[in-house]
Amino acid sequence: MEITRIISIAISMVFINNFILSKFLGLCPFLGVSRRTQAALSMGIAVIFVMVFSSLLTSLVYVFVLVPLGIVYLRTIFFILIIAAFVQLIEMVIRKKSPALYKALGIYLPLITTNCAVLGVTILNINEFFVPGIPVYAGILYSIIQAFFGGIGFCVALLLMSGIRERLEFTDTPISMKGIPVAFIVASIMSLAFMGFSGFKF
Amino acid sequence: MKSLIKEFSKGITVLNPTFGLILGLCPTLAISTSLFNAIGMGVAATFVLVFSNLIISALRNFIPARIRLPSYIVIIATFVTICELGLKAYLPGLSKSLGIFIPLIVVNCIIMARAEAFASSNRILPSIFDGLGMGIGFTLGISIIAFIRELLGSGSIAGIGLLKSNEFILVMILSPGALLTMGLLIALSRLLGLTKR
Amino acid sequence: MTDSLLVNTSPHLHKKESVKRIMWLVTLSLVPCGLAGIFIFGLGALWIIVLAILAAVITEFVLQAATRRRITVFDGSAVLTGLLLAYNLPADVPFWLPVVGAIVSIAIGKQVFGGLGQNIFNPALVGRVFLMASWPKYMTTFVRPLSYDAVTSATPLAALTEGKALEGISYLDLFLGNRPGCIGEVCILALLIGAAFLLLSKYISWHIPLSYIFTVGLLSYVFGAKTLFAGDWFSHILSGGLILGAFFMATDYVTSPLTYKGQFVFGIGCGIITVVIRLWGGYPEGVSYAILIMNAATPIIDRYTRPRIYGS
Repeated sequence: MEITRIISIAISMVFINNFILSKFLGLCPFLGVSRRTQAALSMGIAVIFVMVFSSLLTSLVYVFVLVPLGIVYLRTIFFILIIAAFVQLIEMVIRKKSPALYKALGIYLPLITTNCAVLGVTILNINEFFVPGIPVYAGILYSIIQAFFGGIGFCVALLLMSGIRERLEFTDTPISMKGIPVAFIVASIMSLAFMGFSGFKF
Repeated sequence: MKSLIKEFSKGITVLNPTFGLILGLCPTLAISTSLFNAIGMGVAATFVLVFSNLIISALRNFIPARIRLPSYIVIIATFVTICELGLKAYLPGLSKSLGIFIPLIVVNCIIMARAEAFASSNRILPSIFDGLGMGIGFTLGISIIAFIRELLGSGSIAGIGLLKSNEFILVMILSPGALLTMGLLIALSRLLGLTKR
Repeated sequence: MTDSLLVNTSPHLHKKESVKRIMWLVTLSLVPCGLAGIFIFGLGALWIIVLAILAAVITEFVLQAATRRRITVFDGSAVLTGLLLAYNLPADVPFWLPVVGAIVSIAIGKQVFGGLGQNIFNPALVGRVFLMASWPKYMTTFVRPLSYDAVTSATPLAALTEGKALEGISYLDLFLGNRPGCIGEVCILALLIGAAFLLLSKYISWHIPLSYIFTVGLLSYVFGAKTLFAGDWFSHILSGGLILGAFFMATDYVTSPLTYKGQFVFGIGCGIITVVIRLWGGYPEGVSYAILIMNAATPIIDRYTRPRIYGS
């Protein structure tokens, strides 16, 4: 449990191994929900939230159910069901408790179930932190930190992209490049720029 | 028979998942660093598509509408797990290089989209052909991108080096190269009128 | 008499400014540091500059002709992009490198978005980071100054990154450009002459350069050495591409924020990213990455620093 490791995970998840720009997880919402800044911000916050709690739940289930019962090979099925159930629960709770929040985030929640960044981060957690040599409680903690900063990175990329796409609507982009293709080019240049952080050592 | 051919061919042409529908992008970009990996990914996704379409179509009258999405997820996840374990046992090298993207086939939008849009309301045989066509279309799309990236980025085709030199465009096999290739290819397919915008 | 009775709609005052004039004046202000670069690194540098400019202009012409747009290759913007790209390259790169870089700059950095005024990122920097990611070996091999041969040498920044003191290079050397580095970035004196011209004639404002350079100075003073508050901040300001980037690339009208408040945010952001990459990143220099990342953030900065509409 070292502070430098946490800072390294943070910088790495936000810039170097950004879920969207470097690992290519969650590209569908990245292209789908990045047309408006407000929507992008809502989606980003919802993703951070779901990622953190899914990581907590899946790592607990992994440690206390899958490993003791010897059914680690069923982890994909378990994880996607946990995520789907959790998202469904959240949707029902905020619909009852806070209609305003539901209005802001509601329509993005079902999309998050099939966001591969969420399932991706839970599987990466298991692969990276639940290995011999790392105590179980540290593994759970690292998972949550990785999920949180992964979500921040997702949110940052989504927000920057939405600002750029709002501006691109008013430009005289060649017709065949308009929309999705030019969004890919922008993402490519952002990915090149984020490469500046590679080799980060604190 | 004619309609079966139609179901089969639409996934390769007009409704091509990669360039037409622009679905299933995550593995398309991440795995297309070499042609060999791309074909492996395509075959794995096709396997899951065909079998999940088959089962979902067979059970379409038994699954209550309200819980259909969770049921689809379980069916898809089952075939993904079979695929994951099979690859690990028989092709450990490929399994390692595809890594996390094998379990992530579960949330590949193409498979869910075909289950919801086609298999849930069609008979078994057309569903199988639909899955096969979509799978082959996906394999084709990812292979084209992988071919370009591998050729420009490391000067080889499916791992076979063409030139003894290291003056290749390294960035093409890195992540910016994937996004760049994808953007330019979609623009090109629009320009040539292959897919609608 | 007839003139004084002329009736027309406002505006009545005209200024003889155009995009073309500004582009050529910025290009002119970049001539001194180019001449210094050629003097320091030899005639090879001149060839790189010429090749980059030619490739940029030809690419612009071909793409505009192919998309049946108005041909605007003589508005100076393509020349400026080629020039800035060349200034960001070491002096003995292979001849095809500036050509590839210029094609990428114009095609991917500019024409894809629809041409001048529509681009999100600084085109020259797009070309540079593309080359950096593809051929890092060529992009980080520098010629020793005033020796006119391809003896490679580490840049002052490489030493500063490791927290060491500079050996054998005085502040005067850094100021005049007697150090290894990219063609256009080494001679601070010549860069400042060009920058002073642009500032005094009000073609650029001081907000971005000042906040950028100040942030780099402050952060490198605080974190630049093994102990806090002991960094060699003056060397950090004089080395690398900071002066070139801060005055000539971060101030690009199209890709930087509109309001002064936004420009301060932009400059400070560039400064933070530059120092983080210089001190802890894998690359020795972070100026191009910092400016590109802040270019990406510009629409968002503009959105949140928009002046309040009167009455709202």
